[in-house]
Amino acid sequence: MLEVESLTTCYGAIAAIRKVGLTVRAGEVVCLIGPNGAGKTTLLSTIAGLLSPTGGKIWLNGDDVTDWAPDRMLRSGLALVPEHRRIFADLTVHENLMVGGVTKASTKRAGLQDQVIELFPALGSKLGTSAGYLSGGEAQQLAIGRAMMAEPEILLMDEPTLGLAPLLADVVFNLIGTLRDAGLTLLVVEQNAQRILEVADRGYVMRSGEIVLDGLAPDLLARQDLFDAYLGRSTDPV
Amino acid sequence: MTELLQQVVDGLGRGGIYALIALGIAVIFGVMHLVNFAHGELITVSAYAAYGLFAAGWDWWLVAPAVVVIAGVTSVVIEFVAFRWVRGAPDFTMLMTSFGVHFLVQAGFVMYVSANFRQFPRPGWIFETWKVGGVSLEVYDLLVILFTLLTLGATYWVLQNTMFGTSLRAAAEDFDAARLMGIRSDRIIRGAFALSGLLAGVAAVFWLMRSGQAGPTAGLSPMLKGVLAALIGGLGSLPGAVLGGVVLGLAEVLLISHLPAGLVGLTDGIVFLLIALLFVFRPQGLITVRRAERV
Amino acid sequence: MRIGVARRVVLPVAGSLTTYLLLLVGGVAYTAIGNSSSDGLVTQMLINAIVVLGIQIYIGNTGVLSFGHMGFGAIAGYAFAVCAISPDRKAIQIPDAPFGLTEVDLTPLQSSLIAALIAVVVAVVIGLGLARSGARSGAVAATVITLALLFVVHEVAKNWIDLTRGGKTGLSFSPLGKVTLQGRGWIYLALLLALLAARLFKETRFGRLAQAAREDDLAARSMGIHPAVQQMIALLLSVFVVSIGATLRVFELGSINPRLFFFKYTLLTLTMLIVGGRNSVAGSLVGVVVISAGSEITRYLAGPSVDLPALDWILRNGLTDVFLGGSMLGFMIFRPAGLLGDWELDHWLAGRLAKTPASQLPASHPVDGHRSKGELHVTGVVVDFGGFRALDGAGLTAATDEVVGLIGPNGAGKTTLLNVITGLVPASGGSVLLDGDALDGRPSYLVARAGIVRTFQNLRLFPALSVEENIAVARLAVAGHLADRPQPDVELLLRVSGLGELRHRRAGELDYGNARRLELARAAAAAPRFLLLDEPTSGMGDRESAEMVHRIRELAELVRAGVVVVDHDLNFITGICDRVYVLDQGKVIAVGTPDEISEDPVVQAAYLGGPVNHSN
Repeated sequence: MLEVESLTTCYGAIAAIRKVGLTVRAGEVVCLIGPNGAGKTTLLSTIAGLLSPTGGKIWLNGDDVTDWAPDRMLRSGLALVPEHRRIFADLTVHENLMVGGVTKASTKRAGLQDQVIELFPALGSKLGTSAGYLSGGEAQQLAIGRAMMAEPEILLMDEPTLGLAPLLADVVFNLIGTLRDAGLTLLVVEQNAQRILEVADRGYVMRSGEIVLDGLAPDLLARQDLFDAYLGRSTDPV
Repeated sequence: MTELLQQVVDGLGRGGIYALIALGIAVIFGVMHLVNFAHGELITVSAYAAYGLFAAGWDWWLVAPAVVVIAGVTSVVIEFVAFRWVRGAPDFTMLMTSFGVHFLVQAGFVMYVSANFRQFPRPGWIFETWKVGGVSLEVYDLLVILFTLLTLGATYWVLQNTMFGTSLRAAAEDFDAARLMGIRSDRIIRGAFALSGLLAGVAAVFWLMRSGQAGPTAGLSPMLKGVLAALIGGLGSLPGAVLGGVVLGLAEVLLISHLPAGLVGLTDGIVFLLIALLFVFRPQGLITVRRAERV
Repeated sequence: MRIGVARRVVLPVAGSLTTYLLLLVGGVAYTAIGNSSSDGLVTQMLINAIVVLGIQIYIGNTGVLSFGHMGFGAIAGYAFAVCAISPDRKAIQIPDAPFGLTEVDLTPLQSSLIAALIAVVVAVVIGLGLARSGARSGAVAATVITLALLFVVHEVAKNWIDLTRGGKTGLSFSPLGKVTLQGRGWIYLALLLALLAARLFKETRFGRLAQAAREDDLAARSMGIHPAVQQMIALLLSVFVVSIGATLRVFELGSINPRLFFFKYTLLTLTMLIVGGRNSVAGSLVGVVVISAGSEITRYLAGPSVDLPALDWILRNGLTDVFLGGSMLGFMIFRPAGLLGDWELDHWLAGRLAKTPASQLPASHPVDGHRSKGELHVTGVVVDFGGFRALDGAGLTAATDEVVGLIGPNGAGKTTLLNVITGLVPASGGSVLLDGDALDGRPSYLVARAGIVRTFQNLRLFPALSVEENIAVARLAVAGHLADRPQPDVELLLRVSGLGELRHRRAGELDYGNARRLELARAAAAAPRFLLLDEPTSGMGDRESAEMVHRIRELAELVRAGVVVVDHDLNFITGICDRVYVLDQGKVIAVGTPDEISEDPVVQAAYLGGPVNHSN
């Protein structure tokens, strides 16, 4: 469904991601793990159309979407829940959802909002509340719900459990499973490698702008040196 | 007491115009982080348009709405021709660009219309005064207050209840997140300029009613007052801009009426001094806008 | 040191004198071959040059766009007129002038200096206002305030009839308003002094620190620079020079009215500055010449002597303004740096005269100086961002002879802790003690001067300045605040960081690896007690990270500084740190040697999450 080939994105002279390649097949949950600064956010932002790559290609369902703007990506079924959520704190929950559905016909938006409320009942009672007053968990739900308003076929999530207490993080991991069961394809960047590998089908490990490891989730989970690969610890003394 | 009331109404009359201009400037600043010095040109254009329409035989009832529309359209045109190229550029570049646009438009008028001021008729009846409970109020001031409230109300309604308004507020808060949601940067920026232009148009109608003339520098003074008002209110805050405009208008009128005759000419100077003092004690303006900086 | 003096004083002076002579020769030649009006044109051009140089001193060095310089010009111009016009003339024009000014009778020279002084006093007040508002609203506020000044002075000049005779007539020196300036002697002198002032200011401490702040305000503060001070000095010198130019303008014209120093003149002078290159003194002069020429051509074309019906639609009154506005706009869009960028004539001279200096590079041993062991003691820091508690009682201790690591998963609060220590973020609880001295609440530039210098996660160099200047300016910023801290010199730092060959390259053009090295060298130049490094290996491969270990150790030993380093690369952390603090969700969850904490299941769980699979 989603294929990334030799993708490179630069900030000035610095290549934040270098010749990255990955594949996400329909119905899969693929995770992307690695330390901060590895380029995971840059990669998702580039795929979603927020950043322009300097090299490489992105394919979505066979179409070359490399230079597409975010609104085009949304219309083609790809949505991103950004890092730190980036909900509009000055807008109400309802307005946030409406903005999420801006690429949809105005007549459809109410119905889509109802679907989102079904998924996240806690938001239902807070539609009129300013989004800045939501708790961390509710904010995460809003961020995901907002992306769902675009009726995506593939959902990209950037560190959805960031800043959440373990109990709330659990909710998110369960949600990922629920979404997958509902037919959604997911590409998730996560800090909590252990937990996400338990939910995902496959995983990629990124470090310093490159993919250093990939494989089936259970295999990665069982690896002795996962922690080392993750953080760059080699067995050779420095 | 009645005198004070008269002055307050007078001040609100001025303040309303400043508030509308300041709001237009704040709208664009919120979305693009640009102080639009060319905003005043909208008033200049409006002035010349009004002059032309009067010459063609129209009267104020038709000219007023026409001016509002013309201002809105001109604003979008200016964005398309000039500001489109400097989106995302550093502040210095954008400020100079807007200054450059200001001069070009002004020069354009000098070249193709006239360097002199042209007069057009002012509607006499609005400068009559009504007596309300012993207080003499100018119809003009009441009209300005009325229309300012209507315009602000309409703007508020648009911002709160339309998809465009919601998108604009979202883009003003986090432009990239708004893009991510599918909001098109082109459209939202143009929309902001259009809204800003319409606001300037309403302000222009009343400004021109009072000045009754069109000239290349017609827009300079109101633009400056509007920018100052937006700054007083806290750059980037929409309610702040309105508040700043009202405060500025009131301050001006109160000073003019209370200063000894010889110093009246220094009103602007004193207002400026007060604004400067405000900044010394409250640099962020009257209303603080939350704007984080990533280290 | 001798090379330094040559480069910073002798060569600039030589270059300025050369430029000056070129300009004069050109002017004289043009006058000789031209007609009667060319004499006046050259005079105006020379006066404009003085004004533009004055504006360049401020805008070029601080990067703050000021629209208000003509406001100061108006103040100086009127002060000059009021002082220098004979009492007889004043009695006719402004008999009711306040403060008995009608009686004042001063020579033009005295009047000029007094006028400039008055403008400078006003500038002090304005400068204070700019400093206060600039800190919050940034460059935009400064621009708006200076624009308002311009406007207000204009209004006052129009309305304070007792003093200025109002806007319609203004003041004049003689009944026919004839040109009063005999010969250009004073102009030549003033231009030379203005040129030297502008060129040399760029090389002074204030100028250089202002330029650093212009490049990156935050990084400058972290090096101990207090931008407001430098900007104020630049403003005062700038206003002085502009004022002298303004008084000459009035004197040459023989009269003054409010329109003389309002928008048109602002547009003219700013366009000259932008077109020539606002960061270059030579550029200012080039801009003056180019725009003067262009204005004259457009004036000629739009005038009565040119009759081309086909082009009539454009060759008309107002063409000059279109030319000016168009030039400004065009350059801002397509070439914001102007024609000359920041090039100066003496740069070229320096290039021609450069000999490779004899390799008297000092050996790489630690600098001399009293160095007792110091301690950084941070305890119980609490930081709340709205409802979110970023730090919950976090702290660390470091000594000047060790390297301490600070690690933890994303969002743990590591950078926030650094920000608290360096004064960028206020804490609602806890304390930061450097050698027993409490640093809480101090602004970042004072923290830097006290001895804590940091680098940033997103590289923050001074891009337009050279590699060498980046290091030198950091050194300059803390000189004088050092107490007994030894300061390595620039040559040594260049050599130790391996940047010697790149010394003249602009920092913005460096590749990533070298940029990071420069950042380190610059931090070391500020003679820190403690170096706080925020992800110094981010974006680096394994080999480069390993190299970083050596570099950091070397530099830290050189300046005898303790190091606190935040990073994710465990290889790197293990290689360089003596002790490591692990932060998670705002709290310290583990402390120990790198080996201890990498074996610690609590730490592993924090990073990887979930129940631990098995022990390593």
